[in-house]
Formats: sequence, C-alpha cells, structure tokens
Amino acid sequence: MMVFVYGGSGSGKSAFAEKRISELNNGNSLYYLATMHVFDNEDLERIKRHKKLRLGKGFITLEKSKNVGDILDELNKEKSDILLECMSNLVANEMFDEEIYKENDAGSNNDNIIGDDKIKLIFKKIKKDILKLKEGSENLVIVSNNIFEDGYTYDKSVEDYKRLLGDINRYITMISDEVWEVVAGIPIRVK
Amino acid sequence: MIFVIGGYSQGKLDYIKKRFMSEKINIIDAAELIIDAKSEYFEISSAQIVIINNINIAIADIIKNGKSPEDAIKKMIKDYPDAVIISDEVGNGIVPVDKNERLIREKIGRVQCLLANEAEEVIRVICGIGQRIK
Repeated sequence: MMVFVYGGSGSGKSAFAEKRISELNNGNSLYYLATMHVFDNEDLERIKRHKKLRLGKGFITLEKSKNVGDILDELNKEKSDILLECMSNLVANEMFDEEIYKENDAGSNNDNIIGDDKIKLIFKKIKKDILKLKEGSENLVIVSNNIFEDGYTYDKSVEDYKRLLGDINRYITMISDEVWEVVAGIPIRVK
Repeated sequence: MIFVIGGYSQGKLDYIKKRFMSEKINIIDAAELIIDAKSEYFEISSAQIVIINNINIAIADIIKNGKSPEDAIKKMIKDYPDAVIISDEVGNGIVPVDKNERLIREKIGRVQCLLANEAEEVIRVICGIGQRIK
C-alpha cells in the first residue's frame, strides 16, 4: 500500500501521516525516514516537535537528506513500513548544493541556477528512489508540501524547484493507492 | 461554531452570507477589530448570526503583540459559541525567507487546526464552492 499525504504549513499533515501508517502497520518494523537537513535551531525545534509527536508510536528514525533509495540496503531484507517526511525537503536537498543552500537560506541566489538537463536527471533519480522504496516496503507513506498557491513568482531557481516538486508530487499520486489532502487538521481523500 | 477556510478571494464571506440570507447577520472584520483594540480580546456586540471574518490577520496581530493566539481564540469560541469564523488559507506557498513571517504562517496553520477541531462544522471554499469537510 502506498499513501500520499499533502498539505500546507501547519495543516496537520504529519500527524495524519503518522496515524495512517500506524493504522496500516501490521507488525512490520516501522521506520520514520526524515529528509530534513538540519541548518539551525529552528530546524532543531521542528525536529523536537515531530519527535514528541512520534513518541511511543514505535517508529525507528532514519535520517537521509539525499539518495533515499539507498536506505533499503541498511535495513533487513524483510519488508518494512516506511513513512517518508517530507518530499519538499528531499527535492530541495537533491537540487541545491547543501553548502550554497545554507549560505543563501532559501536557496534563492542566482548562483544556484542549474541547467534543465540536470533537473531532468534529478527528476529521474528521485523517481527511481521512490520506486525503490515502494518495492522494498510493504506500506509506504510519503508526505509532501503544498507550496504552490501563494501567487508569487520567484527567481529561476525557486521556480525550477516549484516545477520539479510539482512534477514529483504528480508522479507519486499516479503510483499511490491513496492520496489525502490535509486541511486544518482534517484529512480529505482525493484518490 | 462554524469554521470556514479557503484561499484569498475565493468567496468565503459571500458563501456564508448566502447561506444565512434570511437571517439577521453581524459581520465583524477581525483584522480591523484587533488593530483598533490593541488587545487579544474581542469586543463583539451580539446579533443572531455573528460572522467573524479575516481571523488569520487577527491571529498574526496577536502573535506580533507577543500574546498567545490560542488563548485569544479559545476565549472567542467560548464567548461566541455559535459564531461563523472565516480564515484565509495562508500555508500553501513557498516557505518565507523571513523568520517571523515563517513562524507566524505556521502558527496560523496550527490555530486553524484548533478552530477546525472545536467547530461543529468546517467548510472549505474554493472558487465560491463550499465543501463541507467536517
């Protein structure tokens, strides 16, 4: 079973994703695959809040900010349940060099412009990693962000990021069994 | 309490006005109210249907004033248990570069979760169309 959970900032998507994978879990090892690259105290606070949410729910935390498909080599051969959080961080990490990304806070500096060919390669690579996770797990829940509705146009690197994340989200919904949008803590099933 | 959520200019207020067409309504702009009052408390005169609009702006102002938006909103729900509370969805964009903006945006999301949790009914409005999600 593959489930996609989508929502905006502070929408309660994490809490729902944890609830959903716990419901699906039937005794398999339950992994929380964290993709956020830690930069500062604000990130640490966020992690603290998320860890508190997961406390006592039986999650084993794995941290991988890139190349998530490789995580399966570290796990046992038996099938497991994986909650990946979140795709928006993973795509940013794959797309922007971490050091430059750090210096420029949101990765919006023009130095970060990467060619269309490279973006295509990153798209292919992330798709491959997602498929690997799907095939290597019994239940996979992926969380992603709605970053698309503020109506602003940003510089090229951010626009490239928006397009790539949009494409990845669409790819995931295509291969998912369930798709949920979370609004003000309320899950709405859209597939 | 009825909680209404949706993007900017999606017709949330019109949707509610139409629904309560035949009743006496009192529309409060929470944005103006909080700026005038410089307080986290809401002074609202009673009417048959109290509609509190733009609560997201009030939540941001309360945070900027260093007060707890959760406390203010809980008090508001207690004082006006039958109100219709309307909020813009503000969390569906690129993460703001400014730290305060980022924190306020996330907090508005969390307070919206609180409002939805307390509400008997939650309606999401897109392009003028309301969908009851609770």
